[in-house]
Amino acid sequence: MHEYAVTESILEIVKAEVRQAGGGRVSMITVVIGELTSFASESIEFYFETLARGTVAEGAWLEFRPLEAIASCGGCGGSFTPGPRHVLLVCPDCGSAAYDFVQGKEFYIESIEVSA
Amino acid sequence: MKIEVKKNVLQNNDLAAARNRSRLAGKRTAMLNLMAAPGAGKTSAIIKAIEGTRDSRALAVIEGDITSEVDSLAIEALGIPAIQINTGGSCHLTASMIGAALDHLDLDNLDLIIVENVGNLVCPAEFDLGESARVTISSVAEGHDKPLKYPLVFREVDAVVINKTDLMPYCDFDLAFFRDAVERLNPDAHVLRMSCRDGSGSEEWCRWLMNSVV
Repeated sequence: MHEYAVTESILEIVKAEVRQAGGGRVSMITVVIGELTSFASESIEFYFETLARGTVAEGAWLEFRPLEAIASCGGCGGSFTPGPRHVLLVCPDCGSAAYDFVQGKEFYIESIEVSA
Repeated sequence: MKIEVKKNVLQNNDLAAARNRSRLAGKRTAMLNLMAAPGAGKTSAIIKAIEGTRDSRALAVIEGDITSEVDSLAIEALGIPAIQINTGGSCHLTASMIGAALDHLDLDNLDLIIVENVGNLVCPAEFDLGESARVTISSVAEGHDKPLKYPLVFREVDAVVINKTDLMPYCDFDLAFFRDAVERLNPDAHVLRMSCRDGSGSEEWCRWLMNSVV
């Protein structure tokens, strides 16, 4: 449900970028979603179809690039990738449960493809 | 033509949150973002906080709900300023909604603003409001597995309140399991037990607020 607001935000950024680049039609938008966030790409696609109608991004392909979570271990200083089941982790090397995520909370527009 | 964008999708919210944060810091007003599932006891916990801290702290409440003024009327009945935000279907509060609500509060004379987010364990955790502290409430009837199923909110908070402890005898709530899961997700989170119904634990809740938040 919170994807509605997020999709509006994606469109706003895309429209501003296209304006700045001197116009054109958007054919593809690449969005990076960290796996620790709770944004569902299917819902973004669903809202995008409606919200983009009549804009420079109507019909554009949404390319989602998932970004895996990476944790940095406070015990041994190493880092590990917890995979999709990222709850209740311990470091596979030293067994410590003290870790910080250094990647996986990202949610940004990487690039857009524009044709004249 | 490819345009490199590299822009955070939530940038507008994050900017509005930063504005709220610096505005509140300038006024020396703390803001607590209270997030929990519907029915966990957010409003009841706020009422306990008001009762236990109002002698020494000036409070106001911002109520977020999809619709209705039920909660803000309950707070106003206690003589505490309450701003109701009706999101009209949206599942979370945003920083700009909070910014607009702050315009209606006398920030010069407030120590603490408690924000009751929309009842939801998923979406509110993704949106920074500019708060200085975050709390989630889990009621025992929801079950002890909630930290595993909704890890984000449990990772993001400063304190976890286990509410409705008076229902413990009737629910299969494994307190040790719950505490262990929270500890492993967020070792720094303070865990409190409370029953807003019988009042137990509310002193500790108010003490934590006054020591750690405001």
